[in-house]
Amino acid sequence: MATGHDCETCPAHAQLAQMGISLGDADHLVALAGNPNTGKSSVFNALTGLRQHVGNWTGKTVARAEGGYRYAGKSYKLVDLPGSYSLLSASQDEEIARNFLLFGRPDCTIVVLDATALERNLNLALQVMEITDRVVLCVNLMDEARRKGLEVDVRSLSRDLGVPAVPTVARTKEGLPQLVQTVADVIAGEIVTKPLRVQPPPEVAQALDELTPLILEIAPGLPNARWVAMRLLDGDHEVRQALLRGELGLLAETQASPAERQSSLISIHGSQ
Amino acid sequence: MSQALPWLLALALLAALWAAPRYGLRDLWRESGQKRLRRRFEDALKHMLAWERRGKIATPESLAGALERSPRQVLALITRMESKGLVCSGSEGVRLTPEGERLALHVVRAHRLMERYLADEAGLPMSRLHQAAEKAEHELSPEGADRLDAHLGHPQRDPHGDPIPTSQGELPGVEGVTLTEWPVGRPARIVHIEDEPAVIFEQILAAGLKPGMTLWVVEKTPERLVVSGEEAEHRLALAVAANIQVAAAAPERLRASDAVRLSALPYGVRAEVLELDEECRGFSRRRLMDLGMTPGAVIEPALENTFGDPRAYRLRGTMIALRRQQAGQVWVRRLSGERKEAA
Amino acid sequence: MSATTEPLSAAESLLRRSDDLRRGLGEDVRDRIVSSLYGEAQRISQRAVHDEKARRWDFDQKIDRLVTSRLFGLPLMLLLLAAVFYLTILGANVPSQMLAEALFAVEDWGAGLFQTAGSPEWLTGLLWHGVYRGLAWVISVMLPPMAIFFPVFTILEDLGYLPRVAFNMDWLFRKAGAHGKQALTMAMGFGCNAAGVIATRVIDSPRERLIAILTNNFVPCNGRYPTLIMLAVIFVGAAFPPAWASVAAAATVVGVVMLGVGFTLLVSWGLTRTVLQGEASAFTLELPPYRRPSVLRILYTSLIDRTIFVLWRAILTAAPAGAVIWVLANVDAGGRSLAQHAIAFLDPLGHAIGLDGVVMLAYVIAIPANEIVVPTMMMCYLGAGMMTEITNYEDIRRLLVDQHGWTMLTAVNLMLFSLLHNPCATTILTIWKETRSGKWTALGTLLPLSMAFLVCFAVATLWRALAP
Repeated sequence: MATGHDCETCPAHAQLAQMGISLGDADHLVALAGNPNTGKSSVFNALTGLRQHVGNWTGKTVARAEGGYRYAGKSYKLVDLPGSYSLLSASQDEEIARNFLLFGRPDCTIVVLDATALERNLNLALQVMEITDRVVLCVNLMDEARRKGLEVDVRSLSRDLGVPAVPTVARTKEGLPQLVQTVADVIAGEIVTKPLRVQPPPEVAQALDELTPLILEIAPGLPNARWVAMRLLDGDHEVRQALLRGELGLLAETQASPAERQSSLISIHGSQ
Repeated sequence: MSQALPWLLALALLAALWAAPRYGLRDLWRESGQKRLRRRFEDALKHMLAWERRGKIATPESLAGALERSPRQVLALITRMESKGLVCSGSEGVRLTPEGERLALHVVRAHRLMERYLADEAGLPMSRLHQAAEKAEHELSPEGADRLDAHLGHPQRDPHGDPIPTSQGELPGVEGVTLTEWPVGRPARIVHIEDEPAVIFEQILAAGLKPGMTLWVVEKTPERLVVSGEEAEHRLALAVAANIQVAAAAPERLRASDAVRLSALPYGVRAEVLELDEECRGFSRRRLMDLGMTPGAVIEPALENTFGDPRAYRLRGTMIALRRQQAGQVWVRRLSGERKEAA
Repeated sequence: MSATTEPLSAAESLLRRSDDLRRGLGEDVRDRIVSSLYGEAQRISQRAVHDEKARRWDFDQKIDRLVTSRLFGLPLMLLLLAAVFYLTILGANVPSQMLAEALFAVEDWGAGLFQTAGSPEWLTGLLWHGVYRGLAWVISVMLPPMAIFFPVFTILEDLGYLPRVAFNMDWLFRKAGAHGKQALTMAMGFGCNAAGVIATRVIDSPRERLIAILTNNFVPCNGRYPTLIMLAVIFVGAAFPPAWASVAAAATVVGVVMLGVGFTLLVSWGLTRTVLQGEASAFTLELPPYRRPSVLRILYTSLIDRTIFVLWRAILTAAPAGAVIWVLANVDAGGRSLAQHAIAFLDPLGHAIGLDGVVMLAYVIAIPANEIVVPTMMMCYLGAGMMTEITNYEDIRRLLVDQHGWTMLTAVNLMLFSLLHNPCATTILTIWKETRSGKWTALGTLLPLSMAFLVCFAVATLWRALAP
């Protein structure tokens, strides 16, 4: 398997187990993020059908839904993250979503956007894209947007953000096959994403430039070092603790670069 | 025999109640005794730190006054603290050892963080913060303080404007001067309000003055000051004004003359968000920012309910309901070209 | 000090440096970061979204102006609530009766079959007149109203009406020191209080969340409607001409619900001033646009997720409860059945609060689930009476009023007791799971219970003092 989750002993697996998630026999782990009221649960239901399991996040009173779907011979495990407006606040929902993206390292993250309120929804998408490269935007509620006389240019969105965007109407399952296909392509490395990283105000950027190399010294190859630096500037307690416990270094060791993943994929495909 | 049985049972029950481990009365009493002692230690350390900060040295007499104990009790306390290596007493008074100073700074830090938390997240009124934090400060461990600090977003000042010591034990000074020394006519920002004595503190609060507010001294006489706040003029006795410390207002803090509070924006008028008030803090501030209430955002009051509070505002393509009190913490400017209400 | 003498690890020195930088940047780093994110989001969305016409908000806004309007907002809300109950009462009446007739016919048939097969009398009694009769009661009383109530309610939920309720009601909750989103959790409580307690997770402030948890019990859940609806139909509906009976019954249920809301606000107010002191926290509520509900999803969530779930739970508790009641009613001790002993023991207490021993026993047996209160009462009364079959409200009325001396006071106090008494075992367990505190769980249980006794006692005493 090409997911990086295939060993019982590797750190990411331990992290997942800590969050109460077992990958089971699924080939890939996909996270579903989004603002509240974006039809995220419709997307989740439409993708997983009745194959879902509802419970709580370990030790938290926040509901968690996970389910699965199969596509092109592969099985995918889909974890529905709590609906949140941001990943910066200290609210429990946002912390869970943030921790899952950072430590659970999903193979791909679908960010569900409300097409009628893109501006507000993009705030979360931009933050997710700071943590992980493999993001697919699901521009949902396209029918509502049309009803309100809004024309949403999904290609422009995709171009500006550097990640694929798929227009959908989860209620009628419109666009969902393309969404599933795109997720598969991103995981397989056939679509290479170059997520937009927002330029912070100059004085913050300067501080980030100073901290980022220091973080990379401790955790070489960490893909989201700049984001970690930003969290340190904001005084994020969890990230500080993770750094002191050396967990970020572990993440870096197991996170292969996209190129490596791709080559390992090709070799596996070749052997099939 | 049968009459003695209930009495025996009752006696056994009482004995159990007294001697039960942990929750028995005896253990509870011991534990509360230890807590009381710790509390007294920490209060004494705080007092000594405060005096050292002002360049003075605490004496047994000053301690007796601050702790409301008899001199004999205070001497016993000092002896116990010396044996723990927290203080050393000499002819001129009692000084903190480095260990004592470290502990004292932790207590001050715990106190001010608790005040910040109680004000921002628990919504306790200003007048009750000090009392509540006086109790809670003794319950917070250094790790607990760190976590609270991070949770609050590493505030630099408590609600009174006092600096909060860092986890490494650095305590920046207050940069302000008392309001009585401030020149007439120059805009000033309140940086600190002394919370003791409580009577004067209450008067200041009653006038609606808070740290972070901008004001001007309008008139100064030997008896009183007239200051102009954001909305009203206040007359302050000099004794009251002496408990308010101010510093020069940063130029960007001066609000544009056409700035209004969002709560005062008429129904259906579009406006641009200028800034969130200093009073909007903690979780509330973070949530508003995350919903897109950032400077430059366009906002419009769109719905009012039966009671007129909360109102719903159109913001970045969504509809957000806010209570009047919260909307009052957002400053906006009407967009030009919008219809004006008859003044 | 020890911390400065030891060399710092790379991670520690990095944290030190980041702390220094953060202090240098000032307290509003996060504000500036969020502003830059939104700046970018605005630019990108302006490029991607073209507003074809300016008719964006027209229709939604007209509806919103109406449902939140100063004049019509609250009356419209009450009217909607009344309509939901009216539909439930009206629609459930006939199917309930048909189900009851069919199911009780099966009971006779099954008991007859057992007797001819030579099974001992106690086994026939326990299985058919105990377990089966309990189940039959629960299904015929509960299934039809739930199958109507839940879908209708889910439509309102799916449309996006519930946040508007929170918006309309927030002022009242603020005055009580609570959060407007408590209205949402109460709406969930109509279905099931345990679900309502879980729903309080949407409230961010711990203080206000606890208030919402402790008071959720004051909205009558689905397990308690049968009691309320039955009493409303028998005692209020019967006093009106048949054409208006359902309307009057629905209005009564709405009145009881409003009373529950009143108690919620009152208790929230009391908690804010005693054990849960503090100011009302920030209230930010998004009012999502109205969405066209999808019929399939509504049928799925309301029937599978809710109706079947709640019914299954009721069945699980009704079956053993049915057996317990049968045993109590049929095991003799000193010439009287155990049930009669228990009823006689509880009767003074019941009488003091305007009820009787049977009702008290029913509420003791119904601690696992409120759904079986009415069946238990019926079985206790029937055990002593002569009727064997109850299929419609008129039969029940005759049983209660003519044979067991129920009055308007009994009906009023039973409604009050049903509204206020302690939460069911599932809800208590949920409160414990959500708060992880024995103290709050105990308060959440005992506060409503003592309220129920106090209020019923006061009403009974006043009633008896004023009535001739």
